[in-house]
Amino acid sequence: MTLTHLNERGEASMVDVSDKQNSHREAVATGRIVMQPETLKLLADGDMPKGDVLATARIAGIQAAKRTHELIPLCHALMLSKVSVDFELDTVEHCVRVRAFCRLEGRTGVEMEALTAVSVACLTLYDMCKAVDRGMEIMEVRLDHKSGGRSGVWQRQEASSAADSHAVLDARASDGPAVTEETPIEIRFFAELRERLGVEKLSVLPGHLSSPTLMAVKEWIKSQVDAPQALDQARLLCAVNHDMVQGDVAVNPGDEVAFFPPVTGG
Amino acid sequence: MIAIQHDPFDIGALYRRLSDGCHGTGAVVSFVGRVRDFNESPEVTALTLEHYPGMTERALENVVERARQRWQINDVIVVHRIGYMTPGDDIVAVLVSTVHRQAAFEACAFIMDFLKTSAPFWKKEHTSSGAYWVSERESDLASLKRWEQ
Repeated sequence: MTLTHLNERGEASMVDVSDKQNSHREAVATGRIVMQPETLKLLADGDMPKGDVLATARIAGIQAAKRTHELIPLCHALMLSKVSVDFELDTVEHCVRVRAFCRLEGRTGVEMEALTAVSVACLTLYDMCKAVDRGMEIMEVRLDHKSGGRSGVWQRQEASSAADSHAVLDARASDGPAVTEETPIEIRFFAELRERLGVEKLSVLPGHLSSPTLMAVKEWIKSQVDAPQALDQARLLCAVNHDMVQGDVAVNPGDEVAFFPPVTGG
Repeated sequence: MIAIQHDPFDIGALYRRLSDGCHGTGAVVSFVGRVRDFNESPEVTALTLEHYPGMTERALENVVERARQRWQINDVIVVHRIGYMTPGDDIVAVLVSTVHRQAAFEACAFIMDFLKTSAPFWKKEHTSSGAYWVSERESDLASLKRWEQ
């Protein structure tokens, strides 16, 4: 880790953000609202008194993301380039799972927007269904993944539980817009390259790459970091799953990709 | 044995570990790499060594395995330190035991040559005027040539 407020000699130094390049920032937040099985059935069948519940909650979530700065005191107003809100009806745990994805090119993150979208979508689901079920519970509103900016990628680490495997099975079984359960590709940097990039680890969902290749991973990294030219040096070494590789190779979900300068041990 | 550790090692203890009770061993060659007080800069005051956990162990195992395929080796020890070190500190030890000396000399040199060019370790040298990452040496790459069959 490097301290952004210290220069090479360890002296305090103010960070000038005007030179900071806009980076590609994304965040995924999720949450769920648990209800009576009968309520879920009414919702699935489109028989709720207030009409199309999911369509309304989706619009509510998207609108909320765009207005996050009005709700959260210290949030900047952002020009979001993409907001999506998806639902998954889980009949095993009789709940609606909500997933929000936000993206922008900018100097500040989009976690708050994604969390706000999930929260308001859940509140709207509550409002639309409360006539038949006042005991619904909004639960586990949380950030699952973020990328871009100096702190790079953050991914929620989850101990696999029965509930998770249910979620995966259900996502596959449901007809609606399913949550794609992708395993991220982990990316690591070492030594001088790590210092030049100012980041030690990144992770990317395979779906965010233009192709499942090492070159596409490199291009994606360049879109995320403040010093993309650091990846253009001729003698850059690369390893996939702890084996040195040369040229372009295929990269699969769950792979660990590492970039580093020539080695100097011994 | 392959070890990557912060702590200093005792070369005598490594030698005994390699050779005690091994009556078929007729030769042991050991190499120790140390921190010099001059390198790219004339006044190196310290160095820090970074590695890639997981890959480094694997790279060293590969090198040792290749040496074993090439020479009749009884046993091998590779110990590499990481972290902060000062001039005079030991960095790396490679010990090879064989029946006759020639194989031990060659295998030890082989392991060091490939360790230096393929195991993911990086040195950062500290001097009174600042710190920098050590560059790779052409001579290290050139010394691999002699192992080409």
